[in-house]
Amino acid sequence: MTVSTEVVGAARVGVGGPVGSGKTALVERLIPLLRGEGIDLAVITNDLVTKEDAERLRRSRLIDPERVLAVEAGACPHTVIREDPTLNIEAAERLDAQFPGLELILIESGGDNLASTFSLDLVDYWMFVIDVAGGDDIPRKRGPGIIQSDLLVINKVDLAPHVGVDLDRMVAEAREVRGGRPVVLTNCRTGDGVDGVVRAIRDAVPLGRQTGKSAGSGSR
Amino acid sequence: MNDTPVSDIETLLMACQFGDGQFPSGAFGFSWGLEGLVTDGLVGRGDLVPFILGQVDGRWSGFDRVFVAHAHDGAGDEAALCGLDAGVETYSLASAQREGSRRAGAALLGIHARLGTPGAAEFRKLVSAGKTPGHAAVALGLVLAGAGLARGPALALSGYGFVSGLTTAAIRLGIASHIDMQQAISAARPVIAALAQSPVLPIDEVSSFSPLTEIAMMRHGARSMRLFSN
Ligand SMILES: Nc1nc2c(ncn2[C@@H]2O[C@H](COP(=O)(O)OP(=O)(O)OP(=O)(O)O)[C@@H](O)[C@H]2O)c(=O)[nH]1
Ligand SMILES: [Mg+2]
Repeated sequence: MTVSTEVVGAARVGVGGPVGSGKTALVERLIPLLRGEGIDLAVITNDLVTKEDAERLRRSRLIDPERVLAVEAGACPHTVIREDPTLNIEAAERLDAQFPGLELILIESGGDNLASTFSLDLVDYWMFVIDVAGGDDIPRKRGPGIIQSDLLVINKVDLAPHVGVDLDRMVAEAREVRGGRPVVLTNCRTGDGVDGVVRAIRDAVPLGRQTGKSAGSGSR
Repeated sequence: MNDTPVSDIETLLMACQFGDGQFPSGAFGFSWGLEGLVTDGLVGRGDLVPFILGQVDGRWSGFDRVFVAHAHDGAGDEAALCGLDAGVETYSLASAQREGSRRAGAALLGIHARLGTPGAAEFRKLVSAGKTPGHAAVALGLVLAGAGLARGPALALSGYGFVSGLTTAAIRLGIASHIDMQQAISAARPVIAALAQSPVLPIDEVSSFSPLTEIAMMRHGARSMRLFSN
């Protein structure tokens, strides 16, 4: 059997996290910053029950509506990014074919739980978005999403005083359970801290894909 | 049973692997009309067995099965496969059905191309180049032939995938339990087994009669609340 090694296309960055933590809000903030750096961008959303996130992004005028694809997850938000990412992979390849020169695709997962992780056959890099209103004990619960993500985003920092969250302790515990890997604080209402997410992506992810690796873990 | 030929066991294992609900081919994203029927109250708890048997009879037997069989026979023959593919495109009424079938076909060709299944990468190139739509039934027939599965087992696998896709969608739509699902599959098994071994119609006699599911798929695209792609 021969192994396929083709596939050249945009870098793919996953955005996962629990329902309502601010994934779409973060994507909305990221789009203008990334485009401002001249990056050729597209977005895939995995909405759970509606096409709302995709529609919201299309209507936002932040990006050409044709560059936003919705992939239905059949009520399985984690399956579509992990066990069987084929529909997302095909969507990403459609975008690659439709927009030659595409450099980066953001893939927003449907809201899930702390155990959700992205397949490295689907993405090159992924972040997990939690919010302070979920409680400052979330990092301590050590879900695979919190531990394994390349970047942990703690969003809605503006709400900390209102929900009695000790933000310093939350961040310290997050860094500790992640063994010092990056943690960024954001307020996606105002955009505060989102530049830190852009820097983390730029530092870690080469834009575009040069060559495909051979089949096996990490390939696509 | 140590006198069983190795090839039978290999066939069985191959069918287990490619027919497994865990095989990554995007199947869980589609309900093929069931979501719409459930939303409209036309299919509910207790209806699963008759619904599944009706779909096997009205849709799989005369349509999917026929295309899978002919694609299996035509594996390697680009013109024949493209002709079949055009047939699926023409005979599929609802756009959600056509689009779902193309997306499921793309997912199947994608995974088999990456696994190196003979024939998959070649046909996938034609699809990517826009030369043929790449429907699921055609893709399935050609990849299973490429993998070395004979036509009978390939049709059995097709029927099983058809039924398991609908029944797991039924669970996620809340109208069936895990036991209901297994009972429905058991009820369909002898029907699929018989059809997998019976003669296949010539392609110009292909037929399908499942008006409610087709209407449900036609209405699906306009719905704002939906879990599935069709
Ligand atoms: N106060 C505050 N609200 C925020 C912030 N970020 C997002 N929100 C609000 O949180 C709610 C959920 O945000 P979304 O971006 O839709 O969350 P999501 O993670 O995409 O949600 P799902 O896709 O449904 O899982 C919305 O009402 C946002 O306006 C923030 O930093 N601060
Ligand atoms: Mg969202």
